[in-house]
Amino acid sequence: MSIVIQPYRPEHESAVQEFNTRLKNGGAASDLVFYRYAMPRWLPQVEDSHLYNEYFVAVDDGVVRGGYALKHQNFLLPDGSIRSIGYYHHPLSEGIVNNSYAVIGSFLLKDAMNRVPLLYCLGMGGYDNPLPKMLVRLGWSHCAFPFYFKVVNPSRFLREMQVLRTSPSRKLVMDFAALTGSGWAALKTFEIAKKLWSPRTRESSVQEVEDFAEWVDSLWQKSRSEYTVSAVRDCETLRLLYPASDKHFTRLRISRGTEDIGWAVVGERRKDAKYGSMRVGSIVDCWASPENTLPVIRAASDALKQNGVDLIVSNQSHRDWCNAFENLGFIKADSNFIFAASKKLGALLEPFEEKKMRMHFTRADGDGLPRNF
Amino acid sequence: MTPNIFEQIRNIASDLFSIPVERITAETSPENVEAWDSTQHLNLVLALEEKYDFQLSPEEMEKMRNIGEVVKVVENKIQAVKN
Repeated sequence: MSIVIQPYRPEHESAVQEFNTRLKNGGAASDLVFYRYAMPRWLPQVEDSHLYNEYFVAVDDGVVRGGYALKHQNFLLPDGSIRSIGYYHHPLSEGIVNNSYAVIGSFLLKDAMNRVPLLYCLGMGGYDNPLPKMLVRLGWSHCAFPFYFKVVNPSRFLREMQVLRTSPSRKLVMDFAALTGSGWAALKTFEIAKKLWSPRTRESSVQEVEDFAEWVDSLWQKSRSEYTVSAVRDCETLRLLYPASDKHFTRLRISRGTEDIGWAVVGERRKDAKYGSMRVGSIVDCWASPENTLPVIRAASDALKQNGVDLIVSNQSHRDWCNAFENLGFIKADSNFIFAASKKLGALLEPFEEKKMRMHFTRADGDGLPRNF
Repeated sequence: MTPNIFEQIRNIASDLFSIPVERITAETSPENVEAWDSTQHLNLVLALEEKYDFQLSPEEMEKMRNIGEVVKVVENKIQAVKN
């Protein structure tokens, strides 16, 4: 084996197709395919852009044996500086179907670490998967960021939520609860109780906007000091992440009187077997100062409800956003949304257990965009 | 095999694989050390890169099949960097 890891170029595309075919024939899950085209369709590198994707392939004498992607993005760090950080995503190795290539995974990761020492991973499907296991053993700083959900349509939730219907007895109980309305009653009681106890907030108004504009910049500047870590969420960045041409997303501008207090991006997720036939809405991204998180999440949640979703989900990391979700009746569940920072990045986040409480990571910063929508 | 480099690498390996340094020989390898799997191999590579301030290629990583080979790769790399 003589592996060279290099930028993915158009001349590699047929070798990548053959690689994907070998993975499929070897029994890999159907979603485990490497990018068909060398040029990223989402966030390609353009002149002067701070936010872009790059793809790399592991080539063994003309044969592609693996690949990975790097998203480069500016981040605010605890010392107040803005630096480019790499997000390592979609690593794929032939080692998953052929043990002779088991080392490819570590070659890919090391290559990424050499190119971009300030590196993070986010998502990864939980600690039981090979990549997070490796990162933990490599000494990366890591944690699971909370997952929240809110049931909008209890009857459909009880009938369709596959991950809960894991035994015949569970299915029976859930079907009974759906049929008799007892499940609806329980969930509604919980939601009402939460609302009664949640802090009161001043009136706010919500406007759906076609595109983000400069008003976003003053919100970013005003609130950034409340966060230890966050991807830069200014107008230029949001226009790249959620361009007006992308109709999968709804962009919300939340105000109080004439003052902007926050924004949120929501969308309906693609169908996913674990949710059955439910329509699932996601609060993808958001921004506000900590005292305004509640009206922003309320606005996001209401927009999704009006759109007719059965279930609303979100991943959040910052404690004030998490509190807002809980105060609005969202339920916190087991999370497989794992964050891991390379040692070099981790050194800038120390003490990690303290800093992570005010880090702002959402689904937008991980493996949710754009494939979930 | 430069004695100094061999000793340095033995100490790194001893820490990584939780084996007494006296038990690390040139023949020590993933075949006779259970803790030496692909992740620990990567940890070894990263530790060497940090100690000697160079970067190892996949080809060089693959050549490091036992401690003796690790030492050879590191010696060659140091020489190449000097030149």
